[in-house]
Amino acid sequence: MDFLKLSLFEIKQKLESNEITSEELTKMCFNQIKATQKLNALVSTCEEFALSTAKKVDQKRKNGEKLGALAGVPVIIKDNINLEGTRTTCASKFLENFVSPYTATCAQKLLDADAVILGKANMDEFAMGSSNENSAFGPVLNPVNQDYVPGGSSGGSATCVKANQCFASLGTDTGGSIREPASFCGVVGLKPTYGRVSRFGVVAFASSLDQVGVFSRTVKDNALMLQVISGEDQEHDMTSAKMPVPNFVENLKTDIKGMKIGVAKQFFDDKLNSEVKQSLENALKFFEQNGAILVDVNLPSLDVASSAYYIISSAEATSNLARFDGVKYGFQAQNFDGIIDLYFKSRTQGFGPEVKRRIMLGNYVLSSGYFDAYYRKAKRVQKIIQQEFAEAFEKCDVMICPTVATTAFKLGEKTDDPVAMYLSDIFTVPINLAKLPAMSIPCGQDKKGLPIGMQIIAKQWNEQAIFDVANFFEQSTKEAK
Amino acid sequence: MAKIELEEVKKLAKLSRLEFSDKELESFVAEFEKTLEYVNKINSVDTSSVDLKEDTLDAENELRQDEIEKSYSQEQIIKNAPQSEDGAFLVPTTVEEGGA
Repeated sequence: MDFLKLSLFEIKQKLESNEITSEELTKMCFNQIKATQKLNALVSTCEEFALSTAKKVDQKRKNGEKLGALAGVPVIIKDNINLEGTRTTCASKFLENFVSPYTATCAQKLLDADAVILGKANMDEFAMGSSNENSAFGPVLNPVNQDYVPGGSSGGSATCVKANQCFASLGTDTGGSIREPASFCGVVGLKPTYGRVSRFGVVAFASSLDQVGVFSRTVKDNALMLQVISGEDQEHDMTSAKMPVPNFVENLKTDIKGMKIGVAKQFFDDKLNSEVKQSLENALKFFEQNGAILVDVNLPSLDVASSAYYIISSAEATSNLARFDGVKYGFQAQNFDGIIDLYFKSRTQGFGPEVKRRIMLGNYVLSSGYFDAYYRKAKRVQKIIQQEFAEAFEKCDVMICPTVATTAFKLGEKTDDPVAMYLSDIFTVPINLAKLPAMSIPCGQDKKGLPIGMQIIAKQWNEQAIFDVANFFEQSTKEAK
Repeated sequence: MAKIELEEVKKLAKLSRLEFSDKELESFVAEFEKTLEYVNKINSVDTSSVDLKEDTLDAENELRQDEIEKSYSQEQIIKNAPQSEDGAFLVPTTVEEGGA
């Protein structure tokens, strides 16, 4: 039996019935990580820590002690999530040798649930990018076809799940950084509602948009993982919401009769690749045949969302990255002349090109004379987009659209054209601006065999509706295979 | 086409505490114009009805006692500093002797 190919729920059951120990499983995962090293999915591993956790969980199980929801299950976290004693690099030269002095709340919740954390996933530097080519430690390769990018910025987190290195992973999503790689790699990826998961201990990119979320091979696995990492974090993160965490797994519905699915024509315009369009139309037809009601909704300002997003996110990024001065932690340049020169040299040598681009754009839109025209205007556009989504959700329970207008592109294809790269996020960034939850699930593949992703969006706090629809689709299409 | 002057980019770089070579600056200007043109699309939306003052979280003030709690140790935090001495971050001289 190939344990590594099982879903998280299946492996949980194998562990519970003692068919395999967590220690054995963890070793298998590390062997798989070595065998698939070429993908460059991870920045670092913590083998000693993982094996000692696995052994502890095995012992607890043997003793009949109470175990957490993820007992003994190997998982991986993105390298912008702090885990005490491990390096947290954000795939930046700036933090190459930074060792976390504390653990992020989401990672702590995984540990509290007895999960085994194997290592830290590669990403675009400081989570800025859509292809994972902006990593200081080299690009991640798409596990489906290594000539292609895995998407970004959580490219490593998507790849490690697809390549069976672990059973689920954590990523972060500021403008699509979970959903786009999930779509390109053919896995399930959820960005929860803003505030669902604590951001404490997650290195900030754009604090008003960043959210931690989950990659998994099945929808039900994703629901369990979200259940574990969610919840208010009063002590550490004032933007984590005082919302009860539902039992997403137990509440999973088995049919979708009468469910209203919103379809906005703005998501299906001529920018859309024909194979992606066909695949989405098939999926919508499938839902209709199974009793869902398709409803037309309108999002007239959708095409400017991405512009507003790059203004707001860059403004916040430049503020968040101001703390990287080469003094308190991280990279320090050699040979400098005074403190100001130390800042200049450390930042110039420590940050990669895309990060510099965003810092410059952020400072531009925040500078006097442009603040109203760019930053404040973008915040107003954000408000309009929020209103348009709110109106659309008066008519439907979920909305469905493509996650990305295309399938994965080739490595190097868009690296010289930042604007072309920004276009890969046009369907995902509006969701972050509106602070909504959304998931990408695989819904087919193109002629080249590259996965196509379907994005399911719900109202704030209604991740359950997403899980219901996605689970129904996944189970029915699995049976059809 | 959005226009941006080289001088403006140089000023931005200075504010950002970033250095670029002349060649980098040149390509940056062209690229930046393209990016600005892209983000300028926001001007096509009429936002006159939006009141940003309403844009607050629906959260209430949460007060707590101001109590001393255990935090991270100095040693733990300073471990990541590129240069430190006697539990302090080490930086180049910023105030000359005899200065104000």
